[in-house]
Amino acid sequence: MNVLQVIDQAYRTTTEEQDDTILWLTRSMRGAGGDLTVLLSGHAVHYAVLRRRQPALTLGQWRQTQPAELPRDIAELVASGVPVYAVQEDLEERGLGQLPLQGGVRPIARHALPGLYEQVDQVWQW
Amino acid sequence: MSKYLFIQSQDPFTESRARHQFELIGQLHEAGHDVSVLLVQNGVTPARRGARGEGLDQLLNREVSIYADVFSLEQRELDESDLKDRIIVSGLHIIIDAMLARGKVIWH
Amino acid sequence: MSHDRILTFAFMEPPFESERTITFFRLLDAALDRDVDVRVFAYEGAVALAFAHQQPHGNAMHGRDSGEEAHPLTKDWIRALQEKAKAKRIGFEWINCGLCVDERGVNDVIDGCGRGGPPDLWRYASEARNTLTIGTR
Repeated sequence: MNVLQVIDQAYRTTTEEQDDTILWLTRSMRGAGGDLTVLLSGHAVHYAVLRRRQPALTLGQWRQTQPAELPRDIAELVASGVPVYAVQEDLEERGLGQLPLQGGVRPIARHALPGLYEQVDQVWQW
Repeated sequence: MSKYLFIQSQDPFTESRARHQFELIGQLHEAGHDVSVLLVQNGVTPARRGARGEGLDQLLNREVSIYADVFSLEQRELDESDLKDRIIVSGLHIIIDAMLARGKVIWH
Repeated sequence: MSHDRILTFAFMEPPFESERTITFFRLLDAALDRDVDVRVFAYEGAVALAFAHQQPHGNAMHGRDSGEEAHPLTKDWIRALQEKAKAKRIGFEWINCGLCVDERGVNDVIDGCGRGGPPDLWRYASEARNTLTIGTR
């Protein structure tokens, strides 16, 4: 069974969880033998072009020491054999179309999405 | 040919993503797949006769099967007679049936 | 129970925040109506749906005390579905993401709701006829 994980949101709880919860879920299921593909769409296409660690939050004397490392998380997902796609038009809408994608992330045009949906057994929209 | 059921909770009035979601549903239909949509929650709001919902209207014109959740309609005091033509009032059991039929059931 | 009659649902919404919660519970009820063996993976805020210390309250604006108000609680909805499944002799399993439970402090959950992690979601999905995920926003 191959599952397409459609990640449509970004930065929702990346600060307090210190990761993206669906990227994390996907990495964990991959570790359990899951056959998975990731589609970054909507604001989640930002993850395809990030280069740095997330900013550390400071509140009073409290300071975050381990902010999310989304480029690392994407890279490790790709390295584990999970294909990762980013919707080209969603990148362009957000002015990100000319930025280089992180290694291993593949752009996909919106008109090609039905083909991607057909390649998998289930589509899990998050 | 695959069977798809989209559970459309997002509406075009507050969710800009809904436009792309309707486009994807239309593309899958045009590709020859058996595509249905169940409108739920605020997703039923463009179903009212006279509501401006271009994405939904295009799917209706293409004769994509469109259902609207009875509970969501009742909450908004919408009867079947208030709905655009070809929209069918339904319970959630069609989701269960589509899942049992191994359709691709996708929440929007 | 044949795998052909097992369906898995993953859900992320916390109680008392979203209309999705109502649709999700109605969906589980509809599955039981179809004699489907239900498996739930509660992720992130959804782990609080089974929190045992949810308490009903009265509502002065409604002019009703606690008994009269009979405030809905998601733990009671889970229990009602568990009982419905039991009466129909079909399965109803519920696993909360353990890390999500810990960070929210909602460890004390009603009976019949277990603790696990993403591998359990993959196991549930692999064993089921089909899976539906309902995220949050």
